[in-house]
Amino acid sequence: MLLDEIKSVLSFAAFKADADDAAVPWASRFDGRKSVLLNVSRSQTSWRGMNKKGKLEEGGVMDGEFADVAPQRGEEWRTMTENGWCALSINHRFIISLENNLMRGDNCVSLLRTNPRAVLGPKYDRGKRYAVCHHPETTASLLLAVEESMVKVTEDLLKTVQMRPGRVCCGLFALLEHAVLSISRAADTGTPPNFILIVACEGSIGVLVQQDGQWKDVRCRSGLGPEAVETSLQIISPLIARVPQGSPVYFVSDGQDGKFRSEIMVHLEKVGAVDLTQDDLLWAILGEH
Amino acid sequence: MTDYICHDFKTPRTDTARRLPSSFRFIPIVFYVAIAGSAYIMTMDYFNFQKAKKLKVEADERRTRIEGERDAFNNEFAELEAESKKAEGVAGWMEGARNIQPIVVKIARAVAAETRLGEVTLERGDEVAANLALGLKVSGVNASTEIMNIENALGQLQYRSFSPQQTKTEDAIEYHSTLVRSSQ
Repeated sequence: MLLDEIKSVLSFAAFKADADDAAVPWASRFDGRKSVLLNVSRSQTSWRGMNKKGKLEEGGVMDGEFADVAPQRGEEWRTMTENGWCALSINHRFIISLENNLMRGDNCVSLLRTNPRAVLGPKYDRGKRYAVCHHPETTASLLLAVEESMVKVTEDLLKTVQMRPGRVCCGLFALLEHAVLSISRAADTGTPPNFILIVACEGSIGVLVQQDGQWKDVRCRSGLGPEAVETSLQIISPLIARVPQGSPVYFVSDGQDGKFRSEIMVHLEKVGAVDLTQDDLLWAILGEH
Repeated sequence: MTDYICHDFKTPRTDTARRLPSSFRFIPIVFYVAIAGSAYIMTMDYFNFQKAKKLKVEADERRTRIEGERDAFNNEFAELEAESKKAEGVAGWMEGARNIQPIVVKIARAVAAETRLGEVTLERGDEVAANLALGLKVSGVNASTEIMNIENALGQLQYRSFSPQQTKTEDAIEYHSTLVRSSQ
């Protein structure tokens, strides 16, 4: 043990971030190492490899529940990574809610992971895992709650195929966080006071409404089936009606499902929606940040 | 967007040690610098040792050569000193024999060319140092005359023969006398 510690110091490994250090971006953790990114939806699992240079490589998609997919694809995933490390995006059985006056601070992110009750107070639910995204200018926050049992089951399934999750996140929420920050930083004249942000990620959709500079509403739905476009429009339409006419509508998707994206943009373009989607955006966010 | 870090709600591990502060990187850096420095010093020491051995061999050879030259000079110096001592002896003898040199010159000039002067000895008297014991061996037809000429020539130097003795053998005469200074 002592020899291992000395070796890790002399090889500078002791100064590098651990593969599961949540405080360090994924690209920094796996600088010079291969890793694999997984996105688990209700009835579909997709994956993408990252090479040692941090570039995305080949991936794949398989229909079915994760419990059925993992044993079949575990061997393939292990060959795409070093020591079995992977980033896991869980894209179903979550709820995004709008909260106000949540605790903010440098250590709140880690505190939310280790002691969520200290951050959420009475809003804490014992069987949930949480993540939070704060409004850049107001006290509003988006609170993600994921079924803890499902997270544990998914982690255990990965362990059975000798995979180790270095990160467990929600792809839709990651896209939402990224889009919120992009909009707030990209606007030359400041964040527009009214906008609608629509985020779609492999069968899940989330809609955030901002009015008068305040987040007013958030809706999300996971596990959208074959009628995903119709279901999405049913969620989006009433929210668009609430904001003043001419307010910007932004659409962001994972950058993979071109069919869903093109079909829904046909409808959204009627209200002047701007498609902020980039190719492989989900994988870029998971693999870089 | 560089400061954005994706959220994470995985089950935290409990078996992880805290990452060492980046400032502690100086420890392995110092270690590797020390290793490199030691390797450099050892390498330089090895080459310097080899160079020193070579220089020592050269110095030994030079010392042997210089010692040989020194011994040669010492021998030459000893020979010169011996020659000098001999010369000093000759010079001393020459200095000591200065007062009898006119006697020898007179004897040599008194003898005719055809007469052969075989032996001349001059010795100071053991009891009276001023007296000189003269010994001559003269050979030739006029040997007796030559003896007379020699006595006359010595008389010019204020020396007179005392108890001269002549021994005549065939045509040679051996003459012995004691020269005494007339002024005495």
